[in-house]
Amino acid sequence: MRKIYLVVAGILLTCATTFGQNNFIKNSRVTGNFQFDGQYYIPNEAIGADTVKEKVRANAFANINYTYEGFSAGFRYEFYKYPLIDFEKINYVGHGIPYYYASYNHQYFSITLGSFYEQFGNGLIYRSYENRNLGYDNATKGVRVIGKPYKGITLTGIWGTQRNLFEDQGQIRGGDLDLSFTEMFDKIGNSMFRAGVGASFISKYERDNSTEYHLPENVAAYAVRLNFGVQDFNLNAEWAGKVNDPSTQNSMIYKNGHALLINASYAMKGLGIYLTALRTDNMDFRTKRTAVSNNNLINFIPTLTREHTYALPSMYPYASQPLGQIGFQAQVNYQIPKKTKIGGKYGTDISINYSRIHGIKQHLVAEAIEAGNDMSGTDGYTSPFFGFGELYFQDFNIEISRKFTKSWKLALSYVFLTYNQSVIEGHTGEPEVQSHTVIADLTYKINNKHALRLELQHMYAKKEANEGSNANKGSWAYGQLEYSIAPHWFISVLDRWNYGNPDPKKRIHYYAVSGSFVYKTTKVSLTFGKQYEGILCVGGVCRTVPASYGLGMNIVTSF
Amino acid sequence: MKKNVLSILLCVICCIAFGQEKLGNRLMPLPSVDIKTLGGSSINTKDLQNEGKPFIICFFATWCKPCMTELKNISDEYEDWQDETGVKIYAVSIDDSRSSGKVAPLVKGQGWDFEFLLDENSDFKRAMNVNDIPHTFVVDGEGNIVWQHASYAPGVEQEYINVVRNILSNSSQSKTE
Repeated sequence: MRKIYLVVAGILLTCATTFGQNNFIKNSRVTGNFQFDGQYYIPNEAIGADTVKEKVRANAFANINYTYEGFSAGFRYEFYKYPLIDFEKINYVGHGIPYYYASYNHQYFSITLGSFYEQFGNGLIYRSYENRNLGYDNATKGVRVIGKPYKGITLTGIWGTQRNLFEDQGQIRGGDLDLSFTEMFDKIGNSMFRAGVGASFISKYERDNSTEYHLPENVAAYAVRLNFGVQDFNLNAEWAGKVNDPSTQNSMIYKNGHALLINASYAMKGLGIYLTALRTDNMDFRTKRTAVSNNNLINFIPTLTREHTYALPSMYPYASQPLGQIGFQAQVNYQIPKKTKIGGKYGTDISINYSRIHGIKQHLVAEAIEAGNDMSGTDGYTSPFFGFGELYFQDFNIEISRKFTKSWKLALSYVFLTYNQSVIEGHTGEPEVQSHTVIADLTYKINNKHALRLELQHMYAKKEANEGSNANKGSWAYGQLEYSIAPHWFISVLDRWNYGNPDPKKRIHYYAVSGSFVYKTTKVSLTFGKQYEGILCVGGVCRTVPASYGLGMNIVTSF
Repeated sequence: MKKNVLSILLCVICCIAFGQEKLGNRLMPLPSVDIKTLGGSSINTKDLQNEGKPFIICFFATWCKPCMTELKNISDEYEDWQDETGVKIYAVSIDDSRSSGKVAPLVKGQGWDFEFLLDENSDFKRAMNVNDIPHTFVVDGEGNIVWQHASYAPGVEQEYINVVRNILSNSSQSKTE
């Protein structure tokens, strides 16, 4: 805390000494934002919403940033002392100033002291980032130096500790070199080719306090990447490795870890094709060996599945499995041209997407078999590179959207999902969920300012005979009507009805009524209704959302 | 401890108040952050420009439905807007490595003609104090933010182009004076 005081005192001192200079005041800027999420909880036994003793709970935070030419500094105050029950569940409880920084940017270099968010390559070995709705923030706190000695060359070095919930834990240090040949050599820059390479290194330190094992105290991870493009074609690949790192997550094995991510795309006007493949093996990388769930993560292993925005298909999202997964995704976007017979006046958009993810095949090493199939303390397993294990997730979806006239627009979707609940949610023995969803999304623009949107969804989910299981909720129907008056007002009513639940008592209507008012950058929303117990995922990082019932209020503003 | 925090907050508020009283309605220049183009080259956000004419910055993500609706609706009118005002649209994707590779095939598949940029670790988003997307900024010809709006409802895009028209008519007025 004293450090913050020093940082801010420094800024103010600089303020005071240069106050007289007209230029200083003229070029100084203070900006920021603020968010408040509060909820009044009403217990409801039917949906599983428990009594909340305080009745009212809320999250709040504010960012304040100051900039003066190349210099900037700022902090975030977070008040999560009595947070929403979702955040209490993941222990995101506390208050204070966990995030503060001062930084100087120059054409050739930049230095940051304090908290920062950074990512090397795709993040396979290092990514510090925040997602406030998820309650996720693993900002690195320490020093970051970026050098840009020549166009196209970027060198980054970081050293610091990691934020986990409201504490600073662990020790990480590393560097990254990025070379963009497109920018370095005009010959390439002016041609139809694009090329670049990069390499990164990260090491973490954690003391070995174990009496049972001899644990590595310094664990290194490294990655190399390349990107290559010719006209409308692009290829991007990254390979990462990690040395032995026994942890609770990987059952204390000494095996090295690997990850490979490949993206390829082709895009031209009216047509886009995207292919991506990922294989990860023992790549769970954390500052603490005993950490589980979303705590202490150093790296980010993305998921290769489509992030659904409609309510029903997003009930079964895939959560990335850094310990072992292999899969791919393919997507085609095509626009039937405007002003044609089939395409209509405004054109018709078609998007087809398929993803499939499996576990990796594992063969236990002899030592582990001798120990009665106990991997701990051994090299664990061997895994053939192309060995596909059990199916974790599969998603086929197609969306067709078309604007018929200036006023009418319709989008139709179909989604087929296979969801391995026992792996993705860690509930061993739960059945696989298979679901078919159809969605119609109709917009009617009444005039320049008023618009109505109707969304109808139906999900047919296969029932399993697993008695008493909470996992499979059967079929759902969903309807939502939204009325907007640009630029200030939104009103929406929705009902999500679990009419196909095997348990007749759980055939519940999860309704919600909400309204919001927007003025420039300020938005105030009120919602009354029932929240079903589910999972919220962003970028493949997920948390559970407990059931709740009551009145919610959300205020967001920036300045 | 609490006292420290409180005094810091007070000082900062004083600073803001002081600055604003002194200078009234000053313009906010674009922050300086390195992000990427679709081709993978880096670009500093301070260098975003439209040859002295106003431009619009839309923050979006491929997984954000209202964002895609916004871009689609702007795209339907973009040609008319450009003919009338010469405005340019920068669409900044905050997709992370999960979906940033999808941006190029998706937006080109849609036939959108905007300038697309990738803000993979949300550095530009943070520097612009954006809480949620969609969030749209109108920037004048000198690179100052003059107007912004959070969220999207069909029809709001008319406000964007009206702000651009205002900037243009104000600047032509001041030129004739």
